[in-house]
Amino acid sequence: MIPNVSFTQRCVKSIAHVSWLASFPAGSSSVFCLVLLTVALGAQALTPSHHLSLSDVDRLKGLLSQPFTDLASAYYSIVGLSKLGASVADENDACQFLKAQLDPMSVDSLFFAAEASQAIADCEVSIFNETRDILLAAVSEDSTVTQIFRAVSALSSLGLPLASQEVVAALVARIAKEDNVLAITTALQTATRLSQQAELGGILEEIEDLAARLDDLGGVYLQFEEGLEATALFVTAAYTLSDHADTEPPLKEDQVIQLVNSVFSKKSWDSRSEAFSVACAAAALSSNRFHVPVIVSTQGPATVSHSQPILHLLVTDILSNPLASANLLVESAQAVASKSVVLSQAPFSLRNGIFELNFMASQPASGYYQFTVAVTGDSRLVANQVELKVKVSTEVAVTNMDLSVVDKDQSIGTKTSRVDYPFKAKGSFTADSHQNFAMNFQLVDANTGVELTPHQTFVRFHNQKTGQEVVFVAEPDSKNLYKFELDTAERKSEFDSMSGTYVLHLIVGDATLENPILWNVADVVLKFLDEEAPAAIQSKTLYMPKPDIQHLFREPEKKPPTVVSNTFTALVLSPFLLLLILWFKLGANISNFSLSPSSVLFHVGHACMLGLMYVYWTHLNMFQTLKYLAIIGSLTFLAGNRMLAQKAAHSKIFRSTIKHVSGT
Amino acid sequence: MSNSVISVISRFLEEYTTKTSNKLKVVDAYLFYILLTGALQFLYCLLVGTFPFNSFLAGFILCVGAFILGVCLRIQINPDNKGDFLSISQERAFADFLLAHTVLHLVVINFIG
Repeated sequence: MIPNVSFTQRCVKSIAHVSWLASFPAGSSSVFCLVLLTVALGAQALTPSHHLSLSDVDRLKGLLSQPFTDLASAYYSIVGLSKLGASVADENDACQFLKAQLDPMSVDSLFFAAEASQAIADCEVSIFNETRDILLAAVSEDSTVTQIFRAVSALSSLGLPLASQEVVAALVARIAKEDNVLAITTALQTATRLSQQAELGGILEEIEDLAARLDDLGGVYLQFEEGLEATALFVTAAYTLSDHADTEPPLKEDQVIQLVNSVFSKKSWDSRSEAFSVACAAAALSSNRFHVPVIVSTQGPATVSHSQPILHLLVTDILSNPLASANLLVESAQAVASKSVVLSQAPFSLRNGIFELNFMASQPASGYYQFTVAVTGDSRLVANQVELKVKVSTEVAVTNMDLSVVDKDQSIGTKTSRVDYPFKAKGSFTADSHQNFAMNFQLVDANTGVELTPHQTFVRFHNQKTGQEVVFVAEPDSKNLYKFELDTAERKSEFDSMSGTYVLHLIVGDATLENPILWNVADVVLKFLDEEAPAAIQSKTLYMPKPDIQHLFREPEKKPPTVVSNTFTALVLSPFLLLLILWFKLGANISNFSLSPSSVLFHVGHACMLGLMYVYWTHLNMFQTLKYLAIIGSLTFLAGNRMLAQKAAHSKIFRSTIKHVSGT
Repeated sequence: MSNSVISVISRFLEEYTTKTSNKLKVVDAYLFYILLTGALQFLYCLLVGTFPFNSFLAGFILCVGAFILGVCLRIQINPDNKGDFLSISQERAFADFLLAHTVLHLVVINFIG
């Protein structure tokens, strides 16, 4: 496949842009962005992101080779396979099948049988006198375009004469009535069977009109909303008709590539007719006279190194057939990191159908390179400028590895020992809190001796006993010399202050290195001040369950002893007795209590209200209480009102009687 | 000094027992009862503590409220104040007293917890 990483990224970005733009209300800002987008896309030529690889073509042939049960599937299989340059398993069997299934009264049946038999060598379908009449009768303004197409194709396959101008007139009339994509495509296909002297201009113009109806998806795909089959049939019809009429189809290079992307993005097909349409489109695009999309792909990963200095590229058409006359040229090869051009206008040499270039001969430094290659040799080629990313990998060597233990106040001289890769240092190095452990080394390209700065240069300390592992990064200075210094006192927290023997490893890695390094350099004994040493278990218990937290409920408040509260309850209730005694002494009595119903009701109601208060305290809530209170209260009120009125009237009479009696 | 205080008090008591009508004395006895109850509740709170505080407040406010309503009733049914309360008969005063008490009880019982 093409390693068109940059292009694909741009596609994703543009799709994201389109969907982002869709959320914008129509406005000048979105128009501006659209303009910017097209400018950005137009600056880079479009190349196909999908095509049929050899395995895809095999899968397509497999689907078409499935056994067929009726004439239509026989037609799709036989004709489809012939377009791909293959044939059905048993041609004689197929021929017999066609002859047996033919219904000479049906236009469709005649079409399938005639077309299929044309694709098989030495297969003739018998015709009757009425056949021609039936077929000619189908060519009229009253039949559908499909019927006209099938009749015309059958007539031409069977070698029967037909009047092209009448067909053209019928087609033009039908196109006006059936204005959908499939009908117009079928009309285009019909025109390919007519004589070249006929007036095909009007029908040729339909190609451009149909192309305008295609939907552009993100600048990458161009397809009809009717689906893959309609798009593939349109491609077939457009190129077949253009070849037949010897006029270049009005499709721009970008549109052709977008059509290629749409038709060949689906790699497993739902039905035989869909597979047939894809096969026809592939055949049309690989062998027409005007536009042939070219695919440039690498054989294996796009990597070169000293052991494999040659870059292999394949140049094929969309069916993965190598192109007969093509020349490949590197227009420029630019280093991604430094943007310097390493190679310019260098041709590839062709060997056994594969294009080769010895890139290492230009002695590139390791890294990534952006290639722009051009395919020349055929004026029909479309998308013949391709961008590739090529990686140059190399091997790294560690040189001048010096290990030393440096005293912090530098009063004692350093003890440096050199270690050679891949051996381990002979003795172990001891560093306590007054000393630093230092490591200096250089990383060079094993082949050229150039200094390298790989992505990953790690120094790993591993305590065998506790399983602790601490990793540091070694950094290069301005002269590309790697230095690593471990300050024992400063870094003790990373080691959890565990003193002991640590095994030291150097790890070097990078995408462009073929030999990543894991080198056991030495043993280092680190001594930390022991008073800060926590238990080694700490690291082990980090992932064990923590102790349970017990929830403490709110403690109830301290209450006084029951005796005290009982005493005071009695004490508080005692004044009531006192009240009764006082009232008795004052001579309050109930002698004047009249037993009228209202006064009885009043007193009962009042007692009920007091009782309700008690019940409210123990059982009810405010709403229920208010409900009961309303009922009882209103009764009590009415009764009380009556009673007091009666009393007032009664006392008035009483007083006036007394006055009267005293007055007289 | 104390002489005059004692004489004032004895004079007051004498006037009280002779001049006030029985009805008013009944109400006074009721007021005295309410006072005692409230004072005893307050004493408990001082001695033992404020737990449960809402109950103490409920009880104390009931005593205070009842005392005030009783005082209002006494003022309204005192025949010497008849000029101030021309439109309010004694029965009406008593009915108001009962209604106010109902509301007070409802609130206090709600708060007593």
